[in-house]
Amino acid sequence: MMVCGLLKSTYLLLIAGLLTFYAGPVQAQSADADNGEVIYAKRCQQCHGEEGDGLGPAAERLNPPPRDFTLGLYKIKSSAFEEDFPNDDDLLRMVRDGMPGTAMPGWSDLLTDQEIRDVVAYIKIFAEIEEEPEQQIDFGTQVASSAESIAAGKELYHADDRCSECHGNDGKGNAIKKLKDDNGDRTWPRNLTKPWTFRASNEPKDIFTRITAGIPTTQMPSFADPKSKKVLNIEERWHVANYVASLAKEIEVVRPENTVIQAGRIDGDLPAKPDDPAWNSAPPSTFFMVPQIVGKERFYTATNDTISVRALYNDTHIAINLEWDDRTMSIPGDDQAIAIADEEIYQDAIAVQWPIKIVEGMEKPYFLMGDTSKPVNLWRWSSGTTQEPESVAVFDAAGIGQQQPRGDTGELVATGSYQAGTWRVVMIRPLNTDATDNDLQFEEGRFIPVAFFAWDGSNSENGSRLAMTTWYWLLLKPPPSAMPMVAAIIIALLVAAVLIFWGRSAAAGRKE
Amino acid sequence: MAMKIPRLLQAALVLIGVYVGFIVVFDVLLQAIIPSSLLAMYMFFVTAGVFMVFTYDEEGTRELVAPIKALVEDPSKRLIRNIVFVIVPLAAGAATYFQMQPSFEAPVELRTIHPAPPTTAKIYGKQVNLLKLENPFRELEKEDPDQFRELVDEGAAVYIRNCQFCHGDKLDGNGPYAAGLNPTPLNFQDVGTIAQLQESYLFWRISTGGPGLPKEAAPWISSMPVWQDFLTEDEIWKVILYLYDYTGHEPRSWEHE
Repeated sequence: MMVCGLLKSTYLLLIAGLLTFYAGPVQAQSADADNGEVIYAKRCQQCHGEEGDGLGPAAERLNPPPRDFTLGLYKIKSSAFEEDFPNDDDLLRMVRDGMPGTAMPGWSDLLTDQEIRDVVAYIKIFAEIEEEPEQQIDFGTQVASSAESIAAGKELYHADDRCSECHGNDGKGNAIKKLKDDNGDRTWPRNLTKPWTFRASNEPKDIFTRITAGIPTTQMPSFADPKSKKVLNIEERWHVANYVASLAKEIEVVRPENTVIQAGRIDGDLPAKPDDPAWNSAPPSTFFMVPQIVGKERFYTATNDTISVRALYNDTHIAINLEWDDRTMSIPGDDQAIAIADEEIYQDAIAVQWPIKIVEGMEKPYFLMGDTSKPVNLWRWSSGTTQEPESVAVFDAAGIGQQQPRGDTGELVATGSYQAGTWRVVMIRPLNTDATDNDLQFEEGRFIPVAFFAWDGSNSENGSRLAMTTWYWLLLKPPPSAMPMVAAIIIALLVAAVLIFWGRSAAAGRKE
Repeated sequence: MAMKIPRLLQAALVLIGVYVGFIVVFDVLLQAIIPSSLLAMYMFFVTAGVFMVFTYDEEGTRELVAPIKALVEDPSKRLIRNIVFVIVPLAAGAATYFQMQPSFEAPVELRTIHPAPPTTAKIYGKQVNLLKLENPFRELEKEDPDQFRELVDEGAAVYIRNCQFCHGDKLDGNGPYAAGLNPTPLNFQDVGTIAQLQESYLFWRISTGGPGLPKEAAPWISSMPVWQDFLTEDEIWKVILYLYDYTGHEPRSWEHE
């Protein structure tokens, strides 16, 4: 693994080195827009449209929609805020590296540098961009990140509600403000704690660039504009960039190799409240969530994209702690919640899916709510309305749209709390129930399939309009036992005895 | 003859070489870390094989065990014998200890990615013979290239509206939702996927989706939708044209085999 990582980073360094080396000569070559047109027709127009207007066949299903090239306005832009158009290097970068968190991939593996240059030359024709912008961002001297710089940045972030106005006090994009792009489409302020969703990166230099030039076509303004009441000087912008970079989640991040939620065993009562400090001892497993586009009715624009899960158990019960960022607390009936919501508002909700029995061998129920031959259980928590409190229900499901709520939830209980753009919900149930035919019976040391579904009610998510995961595992980790040590001592003694016996009999053989 | 490597050392070197070879090929070159249980199984067979080869005749066997025999029986090797007699039991104890530690690694799920297709399958309510099924548009590739190009473009639109979310704009299995799915979507650029398959196979896989897979392919974890619920037959055939056209692969056909 170590060697592997080392090789990989050496390789990347090598590539980076080559890129820097070639940047000069490639730039000097002229770009061939005619060749760019040919490449565009094969690789780009399916999304961006023949006319470059972003109205390809998938436009209404893509979130965010494909860029409209006829305006010449781009999110990644390192020319000064006074300029409309980006630099060629910005366009090259977007094509080469892609736009994380969107359907736009990086093309450097299929297209050469020259081909990317040709495509960019062609794309510029849609907006009749002829010359590169003159005025550039003044980066001054980069302020290295430090505790002081981050503290100064935090101060500026909150002062006059400068950034917190949209991005929220904790950077989760949870300020109650309805944003739109120039096209009138709904946009959400970036959750600054999820750097993997940044279109560029969360390197301070990239963040500085966005703060300085603004993000064209969105409501993110330039903070270098002297006409702005919230203008910042260069040094201040570096402080804010360092602060924003420091907001990145460190613990609740997806680690692809982590597919098992390990529930530790504790003595005494399980923590029933989501913010109980006892949860700090449980390591989270974080999974990506994707919109449900597998079963009817397909849904493309879910807002939840990750969920972090912790679990603990004692001799009688199991507790699951679910944590996910949600910019809106969706309470039907609440005026503020309705104002921020899309057309229809539902309760926020989360569901945990279990097989009815621990699987023997490989065969599990169908990952998307089971099927008739192998149904599943769903534990579903809903956030409540102004009329009714939060609630939890057990469903028997045999396929999407085939969920039957049980009248009686047995001893399953759930408590949620919403703080600073994050929901935390704890569900507790006895390890064993009387309904052994319908309920999963938890067993220590067994790998139990588990999956998750989430609904953002303010995004009109309800029914099969949801975000989902595929199957992962829960393991009730047995407490450490003395068995391995006892067995090790017995084996060592046995082996020693055999060797000594062998040596002795050999010696006896020589004497004879 | 130059200095001869003792036979026991030879056997040990072969085993170490194979072990390192597995690690280099899978973990380093292919970047696909080999599960420890699988590696243990491979090494078991390799060890058995090496043992059989090295004990093929009697003299070879004698040569192989000679150093071990000498260690136990030769009085001049007393010091080294005592050292070995301490180290071996300790090593056996340690191996037992670590072996008995409970594993928190997810169970390995082996599945066939391209299972053998059935001869017939029920698709769009009809019983279809997959051996005889052909892409109705394929012949236009030669007969009417212009119309064929239009069909490919229509296939592209179907793909972008429906498939790229998982399989990606570049058909490389790396669409925006790919990281959230397990198993991950197939990479059509890879020479090991559609380039190895017939168009009828793709038609079967697309129309019946994950739930249409046979058991050895673990239909319960595949997130491939059942496309006959969403697309027309013609749309599926057109999207197949697009998959081959974009990647430059040729579908396999009976004539070539």
